[in-house]
Amino acid sequence: MSSSHSPRKIHLVGSRIRELRKGRRLTQTELSEMIGVAQSDLSRMEQGEYKVGLDTLFKILQVFELKMGEFFGETETPTTPETRSLFADFQTLSEEAQREVRDFVLFKKLQEQPEDPATPVPADEKA
Amino acid sequence: MSDRRKHLEFLRKTAKDALWAGDYERALTLYDDGLALARSWKDRGLEDLFTCNRVTTLIEMDRQDYDLSRLKEILLRSPSSFNGVLAAYVSANAHEARAEYDRAIFYARTALQKARELRLDELAAGALNVLATLELRQSHFPSARDLLQECLEGLDEKGMSDSREAAVYTDNLGYCHIALDRIDLGLPLVHRSLSLLDSLGARQAMDYPSLDLCFAELKRSRLEEAENWGIRALGLGQEFGRQDVVKNSHYLLAETYCEMGRDADADEHYEALADFYPGFPALKNYLHQISLMEVINLRA
Repeated sequence: MSSSHSPRKIHLVGSRIRELRKGRRLTQTELSEMIGVAQSDLSRMEQGEYKVGLDTLFKILQVFELKMGEFFGETETPTTPETRSLFADFQTLSEEAQREVRDFVLFKKLQEQPEDPATPVPADEKA
Repeated sequence: MSDRRKHLEFLRKTAKDALWAGDYERALTLYDDGLALARSWKDRGLEDLFTCNRVTTLIEMDRQDYDLSRLKEILLRSPSSFNGVLAAYVSANAHEARAEYDRAIFYARTALQKARELRLDELAAGALNVLATLELRQSHFPSARDLLQECLEGLDEKGMSDSREAAVYTDNLGYCHIALDRIDLGLPLVHRSLSLLDSLGARQAMDYPSLDLCFAELKRSRLEEAENWGIRALGLGQEFGRQDVVKNSHYLLAETYCEMGRDADADEHYEALADFYPGFPALKNYLHQISLMEVINLRA
């Protein structure tokens, strides 16, 4: 197949559907019920062997409720392979784990922030 | 042949021509007339024949107000006759139209087996085509291709490869090749199908070949050709009330215009497509970012 379609667009492919499903912590059975295909067909779809009609494809997009940047982040999300991989890994974590990562990132940001002399130190910390 | 039979055969041929030309109401009226006459003459064979033809017309019209049990009754009453095999074949089509695929497979296999026993080559080819389209729905492209090749070889051997039915099967085979990324094999078949359908006045059957050509040309980035075929497919889909063709045409045209950098034209088609999905307001925005070309099946 010619691969000369618009470079601006991201191609929906089976492996991406699998990543998105895992990112939403859905099993194949759960997603297949949501979009109205057999689980075995969804499995084939994720392997790139099964193609579907527009109605089913739009159901998939709706289930994932994608933000544009989330779909491999053309603009808002990481652009280097390393950060993209980190972002993809983050998506596969549980909500609780994601919250912990966010807290840790916030902690690191605060740690790296230069001290602001104008910021008043709370009284209980003075002691 | 008696005068009565000659008259009904003329009615049937005229109705069939009307059906292929897309004049469904006229075809239905003619089949209804024939059915009424066959009943009044108490000719069971002709009544069965017109019953099957009438259901075929209603299926083409996307209507489901027919009695499927009548077809089963014909099949059970005379399983080893032309009408019995025809009833099995039409039952397969009816179940496919109702998305009852397992039943469709059962009746298509029954029709195929009986048609082979009775050497009814056209019905055998029709049954093979139904089995192939069911495989196509499941994205089993290689097995669909093999069934269609068998179907067309059978017709070719009998010198029946220039019929309207053969043209439809040829288009389906062409689509299999295109879906398997063998556009070089698929395009000539679809072009042949289209020119045959055109020459035989089968206008209503020209929508899918046009859509297939749009798809193939877009795949190989021949954008002006894709645009031309997409516009043609859209017009035919609208003319004959084929919602699946209309939706696919809007999608392929929008993708084509995106590739051409004609964003306003792309928007027009994305919006037309989004109108079919009122519960998905963000659809247009998604499609501006995401291409479905790798995962779409025009026959699913």
